[in-house]
Amino acid sequence: MAELFHRKLERSAIGFVLAIIAAASVGGIVEIAPLFTIDQTVEEAPDMRVYTPLELAGRNIYLREGCYACHSQMVRTLRDEVERYGPYSLAVESQYDHPMLWGSKRTGPDLARVGGKYSDFWQVAHLTNPREVVPQSNMPAYPWLARNGLDMDDLAQHLRAQRAVGVPYTDEMIENASRDAYGQASPNSEHASGVVDRYGEDTQIRAFDGVATRVTEMDALVAYLQVLGRLTDAAFEDTAAPEEAPEPIE
Amino acid sequence: MSVTLTRNERQFANFISIIIFAFGVFLAAAGGNDPLSVHGFIIIAVGIAGFFFTADALYKPEPTEERLSYYYDEPIKAGVVLSMAWAVFAMFMGVWVASQLAWPNLAFEGAWSSFGRLRPVHTTGVIFGFGGNALIATSFHVVQRTSRARLPDQLSPWFVLVGYNLFCILAVTGYFIGITQSKEYAEPEWYADILLVIVWVTYFVLYLRTIARRKEPHIYVANWYYMAFILVVAILHVVNNIAIPVSLGHAKSYTAWAGVQDAMVQWWYGHNAVAFFLTAGFLGMLYYYLPVRAQRPIFSYRLSILSFWGITFFYMWAGSHHLHYTALPHWVQTLGMTFSVMLLVPSWASAGNALMTLNGAWGRVRDDATLRFIMIAAVFYGLSTFEGSFMAIRPVNALSHYTDWTVGHVHGGALGWVAMITFGAFYTLVPSLWRRERMYSAALVEVHFWLALAGTLVYVFAMWNSGIIQGLMWRTYTEEGSLAYSFLDSLVAMYPYYIARAFGGLLFLLGTIVGAYNIWMTIKAAPLAVPRKSDVPYSDAVAVPGE
Amino acid sequence: MNIDHESLVAFAKSWGLFYLIAFTICVLIYTFWPSNRKKFDKAKKSILDQGDEPWE
Repeated sequence: MAELFHRKLERSAIGFVLAIIAAASVGGIVEIAPLFTIDQTVEEAPDMRVYTPLELAGRNIYLREGCYACHSQMVRTLRDEVERYGPYSLAVESQYDHPMLWGSKRTGPDLARVGGKYSDFWQVAHLTNPREVVPQSNMPAYPWLARNGLDMDDLAQHLRAQRAVGVPYTDEMIENASRDAYGQASPNSEHASGVVDRYGEDTQIRAFDGVATRVTEMDALVAYLQVLGRLTDAAFEDTAAPEEAPEPIE
Repeated sequence: MSVTLTRNERQFANFISIIIFAFGVFLAAAGGNDPLSVHGFIIIAVGIAGFFFTADALYKPEPTEERLSYYYDEPIKAGVVLSMAWAVFAMFMGVWVASQLAWPNLAFEGAWSSFGRLRPVHTTGVIFGFGGNALIATSFHVVQRTSRARLPDQLSPWFVLVGYNLFCILAVTGYFIGITQSKEYAEPEWYADILLVIVWVTYFVLYLRTIARRKEPHIYVANWYYMAFILVVAILHVVNNIAIPVSLGHAKSYTAWAGVQDAMVQWWYGHNAVAFFLTAGFLGMLYYYLPVRAQRPIFSYRLSILSFWGITFFYMWAGSHHLHYTALPHWVQTLGMTFSVMLLVPSWASAGNALMTLNGAWGRVRDDATLRFIMIAAVFYGLSTFEGSFMAIRPVNALSHYTDWTVGHVHGGALGWVAMITFGAFYTLVPSLWRRERMYSAALVEVHFWLALAGTLVYVFAMWNSGIIQGLMWRTYTEEGSLAYSFLDSLVAMYPYYIARAFGGLLFLLGTIVGAYNIWMTIKAAPLAVPRKSDVPYSDAVAVPGE
Repeated sequence: MNIDHESLVAFAKSWGLFYLIAFTICVLIYTFWPSNRKKFDKAKKSILDQGDEPWE
C-alpha cells in the first residue's frame, strides 16, 4: 500500500478515488438518512404485534423457497389495487420485516392481505399441488412441505437474532420460542395457551395442515400466510383515499 | 498457472489455501446439521485443491526476470474461460426457469428445482458469474494496456479470480439447498458476503497498484469506469448486507434493515448494482474495445468524461423509482423519478459517443461481426436507458411495475447491452491473448451474432406485449365500475408470451454455446509462429486485430 | 434520535441540490480547462498504439 502514497501520479489516483466516493455517496445518503427518523412519520399502530415463532419459521420458509420472486407484499395506493387486494399497505405493517418482502414482480397475485382470505384447507391443497385447485396456475408444487417436520429447536436463537436487529421480542418470548411454535400448531396441547398469553387474543391457534399430531413446514408456512396483513388493523382505519390510476390508454 | 508465480508467492498461496481450509473446517464443524456445513465442505475442498496445486509447484524453477517485460495475461485467460462457462450454465438455467413459467411441471416436483430457487441461480449466474468474470478479466487486460504496466504481482489477480468464483459457487449452490437472504441480487448469506468483501478489497488495491505503476501520465477513461465499478459496488455490498447471523453455526441471518428502510436500502443497492456493475463496468469495456476494434479514437474524449461524472452522480439517486406508489415517503419517490429522467442525458451521451465513433466506418461494421456486436450493444444501451427513464416516471410505472415489462426491460439491457458488449470484447480479446491470428471461425461469430440478436428481439417483444397486457388487464373496469378481469384471467393471457420468451432465450443460449465452442477451438489452434506486428513494443504501426 | 424528520428531509433536499450544482461546475471546469485538451487528445489516440508489452 505504501507505494500508493509516494509519487504525485499516485496521489492523483487517490484523489480520483475520493472524487468518485464524493460523487457516488451523496445520493444514497440524502435518500436513506432521513429514513432513520421515519418512525416519527409512520402511522401509529399500538395494536401491531410481532410474528410468533411459528409464523417466523413460516416466513423463513417463504424466503427459502424464493416466493418473493413471484409474489409482492405491497398493495400500492392505486384504486384498482385497493379494490383487488384490499387497503393499501402502510409502512408500519412491515416495520418488523427483516428483510422486507415488498417484491418486484407479480407472476402470482399480491399477498399483503392474503391472511384469512382462504381456508387453511385451501392453502394446504394449493401448496401441495396448485393445479388441483386452480387448473390454469403455473405455480410450482410444494408437496414436501407437508412431509418435512419443522425444525423448532433453534427458534430461540432466531428470536434473539431478531431482537438484535430491533424486533421487540421479550425474554419470555425467547425462552418459550420452541414451545410456542409447537403450541400454536397443536391446539389441544398444554403449550397452546401460552401463545395467546404472549402474542395476544387474536393469535390463530390451529392445526394448520390439518394434522394435530405433528408440526410440519406446511404448518409454519400456512400460519405465516394466514397472518399476512393481520398483524395490525391500522390499514383498515381511516387512511387517505387511493389514487385513480392514470387514464388508461383507450 | 502456478509456475508463473514466484517462489514467495507460491508459499504465500499455499498458506492462504491452509487458511481457506481452516475456515471451511470451522464452518463445517459449527454448522452441524445446518446447511451451512455443506458450504463448509465446499470451502474445504477448495482449500485442499489450492494446497496441492501450489505445493506441487513449490520447488519448481522460478519464472525468469524476463516476465517483467510482458503483461501478465494468464489470469485474464482463465477469467475469459470461466466467464463463458458461467454464461452457458446460467443461460441454460434461464431457459429452464422461463420454461417452467409456461410448463410448471418442468420443476419435476423437486425442492431444489422449483422456480423460486432456480431463479436466483439464473440471475446470480449471469450477473455475477458471467458478467463479473468478464469484468474482472477485461479490467486486468485494459488496465495493463492503458497503463503500459504489468500487474504488480502474480498472486493477487489469482486470489481475486479464485475467491470471486468461490463466492459465486457458494451463492449458487446455496440457493439449491435453500440458503438465501431473499434480498434480490444480494441473496448470498453473511459468510459468503464477508468472503466477497476480502476479495473485493484485494481487487481494488490491485487495480490501484497497477495504475500507480503506469507509464502514461493520464489515466485513460476506461479505467475510471472500472474503478467506479469496483469502488461503488464495495460500498453498496457492505451497506446492503449488514446482518446478524442467527449464530456462527447457522447459514441464516437477519438483515439489519427493516420494512420501508430495508426497501430503500435494497433498491438503492439493486438499482446501483445495475448502474455500477452492469453499466459502469461494461462502459469501461466499451471505451477500450470499441476504439481498439474499430481502430478509431473515441469520438469525444471530453464527452466521455462528462458522462462518467453524470452517471456516477445521478445513478445513486434513482433507486427509489422501484418503489412508486408504495409506503415509501412521497418525496423520495419524486426525487428518484426526477434523477432517473436526468440520467438519460449522460446515458445517451455515452451511447451517442460510441455510435459517432463508428460514423465513417460503417463498412467495417457491416463486414465485421465482432464490431457489430459492439455497435448493437451501444444501440441497446441507448434504448434500455431511454426505456428505464421512461418507466421511472410515476404514471408509467403505475402500469409497468410488477409486470413482465420490467423483465423485458432488464433483459433488453442484459442481453442487448451487457452480453453483446462482452462478446464483442471477447472476440477482440481472445485472438490477441492466445496469440492467434484470428478467431477459429469468422462464420461462427456471424452465426452467434444473429442468434443473439434474434433471441434478444423475440424475448423483449414477448415481454413488452405480456407486460403491457397484464398491466392493462389489472386496471380495466367494466361499465358497471367493477374490475373486469380476475388475476387468473391475466395469468392465462400470459401463456403464449411465456412460450415465446422461452424460445427467445433458447436462441440466445444457442448463440452463447456457439460462441463458447468458437472460443474453445481458437484456444486449441496452434499459436502464431512469428509474433504479430502489433506485438512489437510500441511502434507507429497500427494493426487491426482479426484482420 | 433527536433530529426531527422534517428538518432532516429539508436539509437533505436543499443541500443535495447545492451539491449537485457545485459538483457540475467542478466537472465542467475540469473537462473544458484549456490545458487539459492536449492531455485528453493524447489519451484518446494513445490506446490505439498497440504495443503489446509494458513500457520501461
